[in-house]
Amino acid sequence: MTSIHKIELMAPAGNFESLQAGIDNGADSVYFGVEQLNMRARSTVNFTIDDLPEIARRCEVKNVRSYLTLNTIIYDHDLSVVKTLLNKAKEANITAVIASDQAVIAMARSIGMEVHISTQLNITNIETIKFYSLFADTMVLSRELSLRQVKSITSQIEKEQIKGPSGKLVEIEIFGHGALCMAVSGKCYLSLHSHNSSANRGACKQNCRKKYTVIDQESGFEIELDNEYMMSPKDLCTLDFLDQVIDSGIQVLKIEGRGRAPEYVATVIKTYREAIDSYYEGTFSKEKIVVWMEALNTVYNRGFWAGYYLGQELGEWSEVPGSVATQKKVYIGKGTHYFPKAEIGQFKIEAYDIKIGDKILITGPNTGAQEMIIEEMYVNDSTAEKATKGDDCTFKLPFRIRMSDKLYKIVEA
Amino acid sequence: MVIVTLQRDKCIGCNYCVEMAPLQFQMSKKDGKSVLLHSQNAKGFFTLKSHDHSIAESVELAAKACPVKIISVKET
Repeated sequence: MTSIHKIELMAPAGNFESLQAGIDNGADSVYFGVEQLNMRARSTVNFTIDDLPEIARRCEVKNVRSYLTLNTIIYDHDLSVVKTLLNKAKEANITAVIASDQAVIAMARSIGMEVHISTQLNITNIETIKFYSLFADTMVLSRELSLRQVKSITSQIEKEQIKGPSGKLVEIEIFGHGALCMAVSGKCYLSLHSHNSSANRGACKQNCRKKYTVIDQESGFEIELDNEYMMSPKDLCTLDFLDQVIDSGIQVLKIEGRGRAPEYVATVIKTYREAIDSYYEGTFSKEKIVVWMEALNTVYNRGFWAGYYLGQELGEWSEVPGSVATQKKVYIGKGTHYFPKAEIGQFKIEAYDIKIGDKILITGPNTGAQEMIIEEMYVNDSTAEKATKGDDCTFKLPFRIRMSDKLYKIVEA
Repeated sequence: MVIVTLQRDKCIGCNYCVEMAPLQFQMSKKDGKSVLLHSQNAKGFFTLKSHDHSIAESVELAAKACPVKIISVKET
């Protein structure tokens, strides 16, 4: 089955910077956590319940759908806060909730809120889709399925006309890009065992990303492993076979990364936006893929592989503890003023220096993540080639900056 | 004196402190986060000062179990 409508590109938002970066770079929808009951309770500064109206407002302006993730394990003491979160989300006009616990699913349905089934529920077959279609309009499949299995599910939804509560056919969502983990659908106990810190309450310590050796306790020999980071998979990337992904009949492509920086969200969303549009225009080509992959390589990644979509027998493991991105950002200073008529931004340089020709990145809660190259600049009110620590530096900017914005220089990693 | 502090806003509501020290901690049904009983709030840091040294062991277990390390215990 080939999709008639363009697939939806879903961006992660860990804070307002990333939310704006996703919206500005072509996301059709965004997902985010509020307070503690989401799978990134530890790693990001989550939004608060009072941010819901502002999130919804920013999304509505650009016709972007907004999804609240509420997908951890839920205990009795959480039920009241779940109810409050759902009510506030509905009030604020948030589009849907991404849920895994049956309590959240039931409570959301009882107030008429659209439900999406989280990958935490590990959906791997059509009968499970039928079961959850009583409650949910969109379902995220297990990350461990092959595209052949995905296609079989989407075909059967169409054939058997499996519809969600909205009366429309159930939509299938899969992960398109970002971190994978060694546990099936993220249901991992490693962090809980080692640090009493449950991944299933959003507090994963990421200890799978570290280097380990295995020691034979009887002989004391260290067992040599072919791979040094044998529990840390490379990051998922589906861009080079996006045509096959779309042909599998999915409707939503999710980009992982609520813990990642705004420029990561900007680059990945912009790249996938171009690739998706290019597919529908009939211009998706090997030459373009090379350029897109270069862009994806500039931001945080552990090396890429295709996940399980193409039917590999085993995972591919990372060769490094962190990122192999080809670029990195260096903090330079902060925004101090913007002259709207002249379209000039002023920055205080607080570290290192910047010069004409440098590629810069400006991030902020309203600015998102904007990249550009400096073509001319003024330092302390006169033209200059370079600005160093302590200088007040101004240059032309095609967009507004705010006092809280941060200025970075992009350099080769 | 035993001084226990809870930086409440960072709580992820895992419930371990209640398991370790049920007489000092409770889960709030209002916001799903831990409550340090009989404590005073100073800018989000909730502090309990107690002359009862018998609580030290259990609150220290709670501090050790806390996955986000927001409980501290001092004994003087």
